[in-house]
Amino acid sequence: MDVGSWDGTISWRDFNVAAGELAERWKRSKHAFPPWTWVVPSPKRHLGFSSNQIDGYLALERLRLTGSTEKDTPLQEDSCEVTQVEKEETTFFEEDEAVDTATLVESIEVGVHNYDFHIAYSASYRVPVLFFRAYKIDGQPLVLEEIEKDLPASSAKGLLESKWTFITQEDHPYLNRPWCKLHPCGTSEWMKLLFQSDTSMANNGVAIELYIVSWLSVVGQVFGLRIPSELLDCP
Amino acid sequence: MSGTESPSAVRKVVVHLRATGDAPILKQAKFKIPGTDKFAKVIDFLRRQLHRDTLFVYVNSAFSPNPDESVIDLYNSPWHIMLFIGVLNDLGVAFI
Repeated sequence: MDVGSWDGTISWRDFNVAAGELAERWKRSKHAFPPWTWVVPSPKRHLGFSSNQIDGYLALERLRLTGSTEKDTPLQEDSCEVTQVEKEETTFFEEDEAVDTATLVESIEVGVHNYDFHIAYSASYRVPVLFFRAYKIDGQPLVLEEIEKDLPASSAKGLLESKWTFITQEDHPYLNRPWCKLHPCGTSEWMKLLFQSDTSMANNGVAIELYIVSWLSVVGQVFGLRIPSELLDCP
Repeated sequence: MSGTESPSAVRKVVVHLRATGDAPILKQAKFKIPGTDKFAKVIDFLRRQLHRDTLFVYVNSAFSPNPDESVIDLYNSPWHIMLFIGVLNDLGVAFI
């Protein structure tokens, strides 16, 4: 598919291919996350779709988000500088950058919580949608306000300011129970932008099988997830 | 690539910037940054330079690194840190 004329959306069939690719690459890469598994809903609980053999969604469950434990020791956080290549003497942070507290501060009081993530296909927006829920170690579910406290400061700010990263609560498309979801209304636009960067696509078109890997690199940041870079390596 | 006055021999990484979409083009397209800096620092800097809160910053290979990632790790990754900045008109990807 040509990147220039592509609208940033994918078909259900492409979603299936890309979901399989994510699950497979996720399994092969070295990290401590639980696996993504493809869940086929039981027909009687799911009434919205016609019978489709490959109907389903991706699930990653019981991911522990602690907020503060994986933080690295900041290395010379305040002495850092960025210099321009051609003008070595100029630094970006010379005057107004004495303190940099912005995005990396995480609350220590935040407890350990389990998160379930489901990636489903939105037929109306033709993009993946992230559904999620969170609960305490004893199984008690978290309300949205508690979840928002878990999110990294940068994404919490983004959720308030931007028009698409907001969280809504609605019924899970397969489980018919209320879950949280990241609203997909801007997804196709930023996916198009994201894919314009890949120079290899100038020749080969959009690498649609990597769509969900790329998509997850963006939406995962809402939760501070670090997507392993080897997911993008050639198989 | 001079060591300048860095306290220790911090390796610096040259970051290339390229604007996509409607993003304004920076006069300076290459920057040097200590590898120990977080990616968030680059994003913050770009936000201030471009006076936009809703920048969409990503690397070649259609990937958006976590802001908490070190620049040196990005450099050592397969992407070699060609950064892209996009601006989405009304929509914002402000958490990046």
